[in-house]
Amino acid sequence: MKFDLSEDQELLRRSTRDFLASEWPIEKARKVMEDDSRGYAPAEWARLAEMGYLGLLLPPSVDGQGLGAVELAAVLEEAGRACMPGPYLDVVLAATLLAAAGGQDSLVKEIAGGTRLVTIAREDSVFAGTDVTPTRLEGGRARGVKYFVPFAAQTDVLLVTTPAALCLVEKPYDVVAMPTLDPAQRFGQVTLDHAATRVGDPSLLQRIDQLAAIGAGAMLLGVMSRALEMTVEYVQTRQAFKRPIGAFQALQHRLADMLLKTESTRSAVYRAAWCFDTDDASTALACASAKAYAGDASRLVCGEAVQMHGGIGFTWELDLHCYFKRGKTLEQHYGSTEVQLQRALAAAGY
Amino acid sequence: MDLQLTEEHLKFRDELRTWLDANLERPWGEEVRDPQATEDSLVELRRRWQRKLHKAGYLGMGWPAEWGGRGATEVEQAIFEEEMARADAPQILNSLGIGLLGPALIHHGTEEQRRRFIPPMLAADEIWCQGFSEPGAGSDLASLRTSAQLDGDHFVLNGQKIWTTFGPWADWIFVLCRTDSSDRYGGISFVLCKLDTPGVTVRRLRQITGESEFGEVFFEDARVPKENLVGQIGEGWRIAMTVLAYERGAMSLAFAARFERDVRRLAQACKEIGRSDTAAREKLARLLVENEVMRANGLRTLANFADGKKPGPESSIEKLFWSEFDKRFRETALDILGPGAQLRRTSVAARADVDWEREFLWSRAGTIYSGSSEIQRNIIAKRVLNLPQA
Repeated sequence: MKFDLSEDQELLRRSTRDFLASEWPIEKARKVMEDDSRGYAPAEWARLAEMGYLGLLLPPSVDGQGLGAVELAAVLEEAGRACMPGPYLDVVLAATLLAAAGGQDSLVKEIAGGTRLVTIAREDSVFAGTDVTPTRLEGGRARGVKYFVPFAAQTDVLLVTTPAALCLVEKPYDVVAMPTLDPAQRFGQVTLDHAATRVGDPSLLQRIDQLAAIGAGAMLLGVMSRALEMTVEYVQTRQAFKRPIGAFQALQHRLADMLLKTESTRSAVYRAAWCFDTDDASTALACASAKAYAGDASRLVCGEAVQMHGGIGFTWELDLHCYFKRGKTLEQHYGSTEVQLQRALAAAGY
Repeated sequence: MDLQLTEEHLKFRDELRTWLDANLERPWGEEVRDPQATEDSLVELRRRWQRKLHKAGYLGMGWPAEWGGRGATEVEQAIFEEEMARADAPQILNSLGIGLLGPALIHHGTEEQRRRFIPPMLAADEIWCQGFSEPGAGSDLASLRTSAQLDGDHFVLNGQKIWTTFGPWADWIFVLCRTDSSDRYGGISFVLCKLDTPGVTVRRLRQITGESEFGEVFFEDARVPKENLVGQIGEGWRIAMTVLAYERGAMSLAFAARFERDVRRLAQACKEIGRSDTAAREKLARLLVENEVMRANGLRTLANFADGKKPGPESSIEKLFWSEFDKRFRETALDILGPGAQLRRTSVAARADVDWEREFLWSRAGTIYSGSSEIQRNIIAKRVLNLPQA
C-alpha cells in the first residue's frame, strides 16, 4: 500500500508543475483571462497537445498515453494551483467520452493532437430548477438551447447530450457569450437546430460524470492549496499590533481548519481517482463524496483566504480573487454539490 | 499510489472476521440495552472480552514476542480497530493500560517492571487508569502540581488527578507527578501507584451521560516504592509525549466503520418515519459524504504506515476531523429524527437501532479528551503550518 504517487506519477506531477511555471506563470495566465476573448492561447494549447496532456487518458490506439484518473488528478491539481485558464478538463472529458462511445477514432486523434476542440454541451437550463426543456434529437437533428457550454465559441464540434442519445454537432453554430464571475472561464449559450450524428447512449455519461468529479475535485484541491499557501505567506509578513498577524490565535485556528479541509480533500480526491482506475466497488460513492467535499472545502478555504488578506484581498490586483472565483465555478459545475449529494445517496442505496 | 490491502493484510483481516463471527456473542449495542445490564456487569463483560482477545493473540500485537507481540505493525493495529468497530465489539477493559502504559514500559521501563506489570495488564487481572489531568492542569498539562517527594526508598505523593477514565474500576494508576517544582518539563516524573495504597482515595464523577466511567483520585501522603518509577526522575514528560503519540494513532477507519453503521441506520429510520423530504435527505447525504472523506483520511494513514512513514503532527488533523465530525453527526441525527431521538434507551418509545441520546451526549467528549480541538489546532498551526508564536 502507498498513498503517495508512484515514481512515474510524481515525475508527471513535477514536470507539469515546471511546465506550467514556465508556460503559464500567473502574470501570463491573467493576461489571457483578462484580455483574450478566447480565454486560452492557441500556441500554449498546441504545447499541451505536443506534450501529450490532451490525450492523457486516451488509449495508445488513438494517440493517447493510456494513463488513469490518478495521473489526471495529479495534472489537474497543478493546473488548479497555477489557475490555468482554458478548456483542459472539458476537452479531456469530451475525448474520453468519445473514445468510450467508439467509432470516432479520427476525431479523437484530432482532439488529442490539439487540432480540433470539442467540449460537452450538457446544461439545459441557466438556473437550477426542474423547469427544463431538454435538447432533443429528432429526425437526425439536435434541437434546443444549451447553456454554459465550455469555451463554446472556440470549439469545432460539440458533443451534445439529449435524453435519448449523445450526438455530435459540427460548427458553425451561433454562440452567445455567457460571461461569469470567473475570468478563467468562457461559457457560451448555443441554440441548436443542426444535423447531428448519434455517437452513443447517455448511460456513457455515468463514468464521465465520475471522472468530471475527480477532475474538478483535483483542480479545487490545487486552487485551495495555493490560496492557503498565499495566506500562510501573507499572515507571516503582514504586521498589526506590532506582530505578524499569523501569531494571533484567532487566525491560527482558522488556518488549521483550512489545512484540515485541504488535506482531507487531497485524501478524498486521490482515493476517488484510485477507485476509478481500479474499478473499486466504492467508486461512485467515493467520486461523489470527493467532489461534494471539495466544493465545500474550497468555499471555506478561499473565503477565509480573502478575509485574512483584508482590503488587498478584495482587490482585482491581487491574484487571490482568480482562485476564489475559479473555486466557485468548479464548485457549481461538473456536478454541483447538490447533485453530488444526491449521487452519494443513490450510490449508498439510501 | 495503491490503496489495496496486501494479501498478508487481507489474510489477517479475514482471520479476524472469522474469529469475531465465532467469538463475539452479541454486539455492544445490544449488551447495553439488556434490561439486566448494569455498569458493573458491563465492566465484567469487557473484562471477559479482553481475556478472549488476549488468548487469541490480538492484544499487544506490535510488542516484542515475549510480551504477547506477533510482529504486527500499525497497519494490523488499524485493521484490528476497524474490524472491532465494524462488528460493534465491546472495548477491552484495559485500553489505557495496553494503549498507553504498555508502550511506556516497553520503551522506558525496566525488565522487572515489564515482567511484573505486562502479563496481568494483558490478562485484565490488573486494570489501569491514567493520572495525567488535574483540576488546574488540562490542556496545559505541564502545569501539573501533584508532587512526588523522595523519602528513603519511597516517593510520597500529594495532590489530585481528575477526569480519570476507569478510575472507579482500576487497580493501578500511572501518574505524572512533579519531582522538581523549578523545572516545568524536566521536573515531571512517571510513577506507578496501586490504588489501594493508604492515602489514595478514588471518587466517582458522574458524566454528562449519567454514567460514571471516570472519577477523581486524591493522594494524601501516599507512599509508592521507588522501583515504581518508570524511566529516570525528570523523564516523565518525555515518556508521556511518546505515549500520547500512540493514543493519536490511526483511528479514522475505525470511526468510519462505526459511523457507516449509524448512517445506514439513520437512513433506514428516515424510511420508517417518513423523512424523505429534501431537507432531511441533504443532511443525511452530508453525513454520508463526510464519513467517506474521513475513511479516505484513514486509508491514507494506513497506506502511509504500510509505506513505512511514521505519523507526525499531521495526525492532529485526523483527531480533529473525527472528533468534530462525531459532534456534527450526532447533532444532525437529532435534527433529522426529532425529539424522539432525545429519549433515553430505557423509554419504551425510544428507537432500538442506535442509542441516539447517549451518542449525542457522548460525542461532546471526543473534542475534549486526548488533546482538545484547540490543542490540535495549535499543533497544526505551529508544527505543520509553522506559524509564528504569539
